[in-house]
Amino acid sequence: LTLVLLDTNTYLRLAKRIRPAVGVKFGQKGYVRTILKAVEDEVHRSPRLRHRYPWFDKAEFADERIAKQVRLSLDEKRSLEAVQSVLYASVLEAAARFTSGGRSPPGLTDCWLLAFGHVRPAIVVTDDLGMHLLASDFGITVWHGYELLDKLRSAKVVDSALIREIYGALERNGDLTATWRDARHTLFARIFGAEPE
Amino acid sequence: MHKLIHSEKVKRALQERGWSQKVLAEQLDVSGQAVTLWLKGEGFPRPDKLLKLASLLQLNFADLVQAPTQGQPVVAFRRKAATKTTSAHIAQAMAMGALLKPLVPFLPSAPVLRTLIPGASTDYAFLQMATGQTRTRLGLGDRAPLFYEHLIGEFASNGAVIVPVLWGERLNHRNALHILLPQEQVTFIFLNLDTRLEDFKFWMAHELAHIYTPELAGKEEGEDFADAFADALLFPQALAQAAYAEARRARSEAGQIKVLQRFAGEHGISLFSVFCEVRRYAQAQALPPLMCRETAVHAVRTGQRGALVSEQLFSPLPPAPDKYIAATQNTFRSEFFAALQRMLKSQGTGAGYLRQMMDIPLQDAMALHAELLR
Repeated sequence: LTLVLLDTNTYLRLAKRIRPAVGVKFGQKGYVRTILKAVEDEVHRSPRLRHRYPWFDKAEFADERIAKQVRLSLDEKRSLEAVQSVLYASVLEAAARFTSGGRSPPGLTDCWLLAFGHVRPAIVVTDDLGMHLLASDFGITVWHGYELLDKLRSAKVVDSALIREIYGALERNGDLTATWRDARHTLFARIFGAEPE
Repeated sequence: MHKLIHSEKVKRALQERGWSQKVLAEQLDVSGQAVTLWLKGEGFPRPDKLLKLASLLQLNFADLVQAPTQGQPVVAFRRKAATKTTSAHIAQAMAMGALLKPLVPFLPSAPVLRTLIPGASTDYAFLQMATGQTRTRLGLGDRAPLFYEHLIGEFASNGAVIVPVLWGERLNHRNALHILLPQEQVTFIFLNLDTRLEDFKFWMAHELAHIYTPELAGKEEGEDFADAFADALLFPQALAQAAYAEARRARSEAGQIKVLQRFAGEHGISLFSVFCEVRRYAQAQALPPLMCRETAVHAVRTGQRGALVSEQLFSPLPPAPDKYIAATQNTFRSEFFAALQRMLKSQGTGAGYLRQMMDIPLQDAMALHAELLR
């Protein structure tokens, strides 16, 4: 099994339409999507997110998350905390690197997710460009949300119609990032066609 | 100084696990010689190996790595009464300081000539002299009420950047946060606008004292001087003398407090500041103390609190991003948002930067980010 850890935004972008959202094996490599309690906390801390994603706390989603949540041993937690602190120190040491090209410096929660990716190990799915830069510095595997969608398509978990629906929803919500937009006409060119001239 | 592996801590961690350096090298998939060099301070692990080292030995960054402290931000909190500053608060403020560094190139050049108070001391005569000269610089006589607007220009002309923030009144432990970047020679002062007006004036005067005494940054004596300077600046000797004389004529504790309250009201400052300055004046002149007790003053003060600065500046609350940015630029004459706007536009920085650097919720950061890029 290879754990695929979704960050908060990825979960919120995909979980409503790709059911079940977590805990199911897919693909030849045996990927399993999962989330951490940090996602739960981040949404509950933010009135904006709770308002924008009212389905998040519906029983169907909340029960599924609790049932499939990854439990960490005390030993793992200690290693995670240590790795998180190294990652965060590296961000602060060179903060300017993380403030250009649409990036933001990864915060402590972001570093916690990447630390999980390193310790467990797991593939971390995020569209945060600062996290991608940090992960590449430290050799941690990360995917963009659209890359996960592509893997799910290869594994026949989602079809072209659902991918169109997801893109439509992201566009309507003003949540279509530049990277997702670019992927529409590259990775998903068969569905959306090539970029218009 | 380069980064080094903290060899003592690593050796201790190995001992606790019963591991040799050879075992560690195998676990990390590196040569034994590489580990030896790291522990001798003659090499440093690559990022992926450093991460593995932290994970295996469960050592956090501060224990694992000896990093140069030169150029690190110097932070100080102006705490609310009955709150505690934890190591987590300090770590967060240091992080904010590190994140402010990329903003510095977008600020206007800092002035080279600055006001300094050499040999700062809490001696009464010294304080009166220092605050008297400051009042003269501000164009104020020794009996005129001081408004916080009087102080704003002093910050900018001494290379300090004011960052007014709305951190809330109850759930937050800070009235103000002072972050000095020593290498960049810039000070950022986060002032919580969700603070009572009389306290806000005190904190601004307190911060000004820190700006005048950079050599005391981060030291306890610097805090003591700033507290004493703030009270003396807001309520100088001439006023303390008048308040003392009048209060002495009252025959009861309540009557004396009433006199002090009137002075506090006229000057828009805290009753406690008036009380402290009158007490210092009496001590300095070897006069008998007033009969009012500190506990009684606190009780009266707690029962009569003024409006929040944010309530005075904005209606309705919370303010729309454009109103908040305008107040920062116009009322506080701060270059903070103008510099941030230059940075966001030229670098394409994401909204998450604002969230962390200003310690504000993501939704506020996104709204400010959108407004600055409009």
